Amino acid sequence: MGAQILPVASPRRVRAYARRLTLRHSRALAGALTLHALAAAAGLIVPRLLGDLVEDVADGRAAAGGVVAAIAAFLLAQGVLQRQAFYASARLGERVLAELREEFVERVLALPLSVVERAGTGDLVSRTSRDVGNLAGVVRFAVPDALISLVIVAFTAGAVALAGPLLVLPGLAVIPLYWLFSRWYLARARDGYLRESEAWAALTDGLAETVAGARTIEAFGLQEQRHRRTDADIAASWARERYTLHLRTVFVPGVTVCLGLQVSATLLVGGIGHIHGWASLGQVTAAVLYVQQLAGPLERLLSRLDELQIGGASLARLLGVDEVPPDRAPSAGVVSTGFTRPVLEARDVRYAYRAGRDVLHGVDLTLRPGERLAIVGPSGAGKSTLGRLLAGVHNPRTGTVTVREDGAADHRVSLTDLPLDELRGQVALLTQEQHVFRGTLRDNLIMARPDATDEQARAALEAVRWDGPDLDAVVGSGGAPLSPAQAQQLALARLVLADPHTLVLDEATSLLDPRAARRLERSLAAVLHGRTVVAIAHRLHTAHDADRVAVVEDGRITEFGSHHELLRAGGSYAALWRSWHGADDEASPGRTGPGVSPDGS
Amino acid sequence: MKDALPTVDPGDPDHRSPGRYLWWLARHQSGPLLRGIGWGVLWMASLALIPPTIGRAIDAGVAARDVGALSIWSAVLLGLFGLQAAAGAMRHRRAVFCWLSAAYRTVQVVTRQATRLGAALSRRISAGEVVSVGVSDVEHIGSALEVVIRGTASVVMIMVVIALMLATDLGAGLAALAGVPVILLVGAPLLGPYRRRTRRLRELIGELNTRATDIVAGLRVLRGVGGEKLFAARYREQSQRVRRAGVDAARAESMLAGAEVLLPGLLTVAVVWLGTRSALAGAMSPGELVTVYGYAVFLVIPMATLAEAADSLTKGHVAASRVVAVLALEPEPEGEGDREPARPADLVDPLSGLVVRHGRLTALAAASAADARAIADRLGRYTEVEGADVTYGGVPLRDLARLRERIIVAVNEDVLLSGPLTATLACGDPARDVDAAIATASAEDIVAEVGRDAHVVEAGREFSGGQQQRLRLARALAADPEVLVLVEPTSAVDAHTEARIADRLRRMRAGRTTLVCTTSPLLLDRAEHVVFVEDGTVVAEGTHRDLLDAEPRYAEAVTRNETADRAHGTA
Repeated sequence: MGAQILPVASPRRVRAYARRLTLRHSRALAGALTLHALAAAAGLIVPRLLGDLVEDVADGRAAAGGVVAAIAAFLLAQGVLQRQAFYASARLGERVLAELREEFVERVLALPLSVVERAGTGDLVSRTSRDVGNLAGVVRFAVPDALISLVIVAFTAGAVALAGPLLVLPGLAVIPLYWLFSRWYLARARDGYLRESEAWAALTDGLAETVAGARTIEAFGLQEQRHRRTDADIAASWARERYTLHLRTVFVPGVTVCLGLQVSATLLVGGIGHIHGWASLGQVTAAVLYVQQLAGPLERLLSRLDELQIGGASLARLLGVDEVPPDRAPSAGVVSTGFTRPVLEARDVRYAYRAGRDVLHGVDLTLRPGERLAIVGPSGAGKSTLGRLLAGVHNPRTGTVTVREDGAADHRVSLTDLPLDELRGQVALLTQEQHVFRGTLRDNLIMARPDATDEQARAALEAVRWDGPDLDAVVGSGGAPLSPAQAQQLALARLVLADPHTLVLDEATSLLDPRAARRLERSLAAVLHGRTVVAIAHRLHTAHDADRVAVVEDGRITEFGSHHELLRAGGSYAALWRSWHGADDEASPGRTGPGVSPDGS
Repeated sequence: MKDALPTVDPGDPDHRSPGRYLWWLARHQSGPLLRGIGWGVLWMASLALIPPTIGRAIDAGVAARDVGALSIWSAVLLGLFGLQAAAGAMRHRRAVFCWLSAAYRTVQVVTRQATRLGAALSRRISAGEVVSVGVSDVEHIGSALEVVIRGTASVVMIMVVIALMLATDLGAGLAALAGVPVILLVGAPLLGPYRRRTRRLRELIGELNTRATDIVAGLRVLRGVGGEKLFAARYREQSQRVRRAGVDAARAESMLAGAEVLLPGLLTVAVVWLGTRSALAGAMSPGELVTVYGYAVFLVIPMATLAEAADSLTKGHVAASRVVAVLALEPEPEGEGDREPARPADLVDPLSGLVVRHGRLTALAAASAADARAIADRLGRYTEVEGADVTYGGVPLRDLARLRERIIVAVNEDVLLSGPLTATLACGDPARDVDAAIATASAEDIVAEVGRDAHVVEAGREFSGGQQQRLRLARALAADPEVLVLVEPTSAVDAHTEARIADRLRRMRAGRTTLVCTTSPLLLDRAEHVVFVEDGTVVAEGTHRDLLDAEPRYAEAVTRNETADRAHGTA
């Protein structure tokens, strides 16, 4: 359960993608970086000017007013440039971010059918919410911050060099120390923060579960257990927070002390230089102020590095969705649209979700055009699997599921060879799992046929005896609430609109009130006249109304025939029918039950 | 850190107002908070002392060409960085502790409140509101408590630094004294549009996320029937709206970024200009000029912290008001009794006329599902009707001792709780016979497939609807209460399995009081006694087959046939 089935992109692919992204936006990126560089340069001139001012004052020169005016001018320039630079890089960031998430959603929408069926939604949901969110944080804050800090650090080093080339030496001497601290920190930070946010998520998920399950918790007297679970979650979170706190307690003071070494060494070296006559007072002052100003950008740069790591991991997971191999290879020229009376055939079909554990053991089934077939049987018998194979979602492990024109046995097309659009024209699967998408009712309907008119949409709603809101109403989470029954009606209406030759309905009316379900199925039968319908059902009236019934047990079709034939045969279907229908004891096989022929009465 | 989290007993929160709640939190961690403020002042002081130290070094060491003084001042400077590193780390540790302590305590009290309210919770407040407490409010509350440390230290340091400037140079000091409030006042209006736009951006991002998770959640449906292009286009539209809102917010934030340089910059220029004049007049040394410049630059940090503190405290207050709204709710109906029922105990609902006999498997078939549910809610005292008390063994439920232990009403909104499969079915009680319950609920295949200790994710989402229902049934059976009320326990289960469950249920609950609300003939057929309810009252009783023959409306309600079939069947 919850296994991660979707792949994750390799570091090489992530790097290649980042390169492509940079090239695609090279001009905007260069522009933003230039603005940041100019802002940094303007900011660096101020300490230099202050150095001049100090010399003027030391020499008692009275021309200081001009220097102060220059300081004011450069501060103004820095302010304006900073603003422009920020705006330019934010605009670029938003554009890149929009591209990243739109491409990701397109990749998700193109995932192969069989993978979607198997993967479950957990992994995809976490990629969609957590990884896209992580990446947004990285693109919005970490990348620009790291780039800006890098520019400032580089420019500051250059400014120190300009102030006095020898004054760079103390900085160079400290670099190995910075490197050591960063390496130690980065080797631990990423995992530490990931585990920290996992623990935090567990804590808030636990609270959400307590809230959602408040009734259950009260009914089963689980209050104390929930309190203990919360406290345990807190203890786990606290332990992980303490670990990252420990990392920061070493790293941040370490960087501060390195900086202190750099500042005091610059002062010492510069002072000695001044005493020996190879550095002016102004140069020393400027260099010391520069180095001291490094504190902010340097800490920001180093502290963003681990976020960049996390962003890389998230990007790898987003790109990974693209690496799922396609499950169908539509051969060119395979067409089925010409079929007017298509016959769906399964031959000796076997299927296993896990190697060596077949859930279907050689099923043969031919669907007559226009018939209604009901599949009944205990849960876990393989009914739904058979339904998916008939709908072309999965390829059988061995055997074939094909479609051909009635009476033309030579031209057969395997369902999984059909392009997706053609497949949907042939056969559609509707499961018990319903989903009402957030949006208008119209969008929810016409997704199956985007060119449908409102009249067609309304006709489809009528066919399912729709009693909910109109086409323009917003439904789905946050919209007008639909009952589970209405959600099923909506799903059926989609299929009516899509109008495939064959429909596979897997418990498609199970959430409806029993009598409503039956009425709906009958009105559907009228609309779907001439279409082949396979109905997997747990209510026996569906079987009773069908042309033929297949009883599936343990991955095999054990009984097959019309309702009456099966009743006469006196097998498990007959026994169930009698019990369900309130007939006498199951032990009286002679009696056929009351439902002889509803249509004939 | 000697303090360990979580605290065993979070205490009784003061929920009279958001402010009082925050104060209550602060009082519970006053020690770390005060120590944090102390370290914070020391940390900022070490930062503030760096400019005068550099100034002294330049005057006494560099300008005076005195290697001894230069070495001493360089060493002092290094010492200050060391102090800054140590005090900064200590302050940070206290700050993280306060943040987490407030957030954890809030989670604890909200959790305890949710379990105290029980079924009343969803009736009184939307689940989303309570969940948002966990998702965002606790973080805002944590930040509000944490920022108190840095905010207080900032106020202290602004005052100290201005005093030092006044002592160094009166003009520069006065400029700072006037400048700091001006900058805070001028900067504040810029925050307005920034906050509005980021709030809007956050809302739009939230909606976009909802759409994306919506697409993923419905992906099977979508890939089944088509509509990829339509949904991709809708997502793109919305994503572009987010992009535009992001650019809007960035425009407002860029003004702040510019102002962050410009406003303190103007103060710096004023201070430097005034300082230069006094220096030229001989009232100040070059080193002191560097010092006042350094002070002016230093003031940026505490001023930015104050702006952040104002923001965090506002958000914390809003978050606290949501927490307080949850904490102020009272459970209903209130009260718990201490009377024991008379034996053998029947469960009697006078309003509908329903009598659930002691030790029997009774089935209730209602023409309308809402009627059945209303009765079940009364039987569990989830609702009460004035003057028509449900009694158990002659005792009104409100006076009954240990009501929830005796009577379990299991409904389909019940959720599976996360944890190892069999442990969650046993509700953590190793003494319960989970295996028998699993067999009765015909859930052996599920357990065999995933394993006994498989981790159940939240709400058992990874199981199908029918599987969840069987597991919930197993949990209710394993609890083995004196009275078990099951509402539509097999509505999502196929007929074969339903028949099996019906047989086994009767066996497992033999001699125990059980009521099953259902319209399934398979279950009704196996009940010892069937009660038919129409318009909220019992209209017929007997066995399934008796009722089928004697009561046409019953037959119509449960056989799922339309009248034509039934007429044929009875003919």
